[in-house]
Order: sequence, then structure tokens, then C-alpha cells
Amino acid sequence: MKPIIVPGTLASLSLIRDYARTAAAEAGLDKKRTYRLELAVDEIATNIVNHGYQEAGLTGDVVARATITVCALTITLEDTAVPFDPRRLTRPEQIDLPLAERPIGGLGVFLAIENVDEFRYEHVDDHNRNIFVVNRTAA
Amino acid sequence: MAFSLTSETVNGIAKFTLVGELDAAAAGSFREAVEQAAASRPKRVVLIMDALTYMASAGLRTLVFAKQKMGANVDIYVIGVQEAVRETIEMTGFNHSVIMLDTYDAAEIENV
Repeated sequence: MKPIIVPGTLASLSLIRDYARTAAAEAGLDKKRTYRLELAVDEIATNIVNHGYQEAGLTGDVVARATITVCALTITLEDTAVPFDPRRLTRPEQIDLPLAERPIGGLGVFLAIENVDEFRYEHVDDHNRNIFVVNRTAA
Repeated sequence: MAFSLTSETVNGIAKFTLVGELDAAAAGSFREAVEQAAASRPKRVVLIMDALTYMASAGLRTLVFAKQKMGANVDIYVIGVQEAVRETIEMTGFNHSVIMLDTYDAAEIENV
């Protein structure tokens, strides 16, 4: 699938979800797993927009890229915002906090990680890369 | 699908009907509607969600906001939530903060 490049703004969130939905359909994911993937991608995209760009006083794009193999659908969100590893919000001392009291963005990260089979983060060449993997065979 | 909501307060019950996708871009309008409704100090809040097809954590946070704004004594009813949205509410434990019903039970809800 061709990637999409959208501005890092809240208005782009629905475009990113549409892209994830299209990729999920191409990969043959069922309704439930499609929704979960959409939610995961949306939550991280929201953090990119709010915390990576807006609150840091930066502007930039988000690139969404889907790759489908025999085994899995992988969606990557790439941005040039403040370097941020979402997994920092899932450290043990934060896991024990009631969800509503987690650091800003922590609830979204929890939902993102819980709703895909694998979540990875990389920081390469000044780009944040958030990687979502959903297995194509029923898990 | 874009988000829309209608709200009305009748007999002390603030009723919101949520339609479409409640993401971070849309949560602001929901929050504003909650603030406006809170000004009349309703005794109960009802959220009709059968046409809400998507809810992100921003929507959940607005539920928390509604709870705080309306006061601890004001019950929040969530009606007809779709399965995927219900899963998110339960996964995050927010089902303990609201009363979830499949359909609008006037006898229970309007007995304030």
C-alpha cells in the first residue's frame, strides 16, 4: 500500500484511521481486530500531534505506512516531532496507578499497546517511528 | 464518520446523544457541551451511545471530566454502547464509574 503523508494536526486523525482501516481490509482482518488496530494507531497519532508537535511548539507531518506480508499487517507512523518513546509511559511504577491518574498520554499508550500483537518504537535519523504489528492468522 | 452530538436537559436530567467517532479532535466539543449542561446542575447525566461508532481515550477522559464537573452524587448512565466501544470502557476500568444499560430504561433513569 502507498503511504500517506498528513499534517501533524488533530484534523488528520480521521485520515490516519481511514488508512489503517483500508490496510486492515486489505489484510483481511476481522471487524474487531480492525477496530483495535485503528484505536492503537489513533492513540499514538494523537500523542504525536498533541505532545510531539503542538505542546513542543513544533509543526510537521505524520507519515503512515502499511506493509502486508503473509503473516502480518504492519503499520508504521513516522514523525519529526520531539523524540518520544511511548513505552516510557508504561514503566512498572506507572502501571500501578489508576488509569485516570496516569501521566498525560499514558492512557492512550496503554490502549495502543493492548490492542495490537506487537508494538515497537525506534528513533532513526531524527524520526520517531511507532510500529504496530497485527498477525493475520487468528491469534 | 464525523462526530456530532445533541444535548438537552429536562426535569433535571442532562441527556447527550453522541453520534459518529469521538476522537481527540472531537472531544473538545463534547467537553464544552458537558460544561454548558453542568451550569444547570442536573441530577443525572445520560449518554446515548448506540450511534457512537468509535471512542478514543480522549472520549474516556471526557467521561471522567463529566463525573468531576457534575459532582460525585450525579450518576452517569451510558446507554446502548456498541461492542467495540464497550470493550475499551471495560478494558480501562471506566465501567466502574458509569452505569451501563443496553436500552433506555425510563423507570430507572427518570426516577430521580
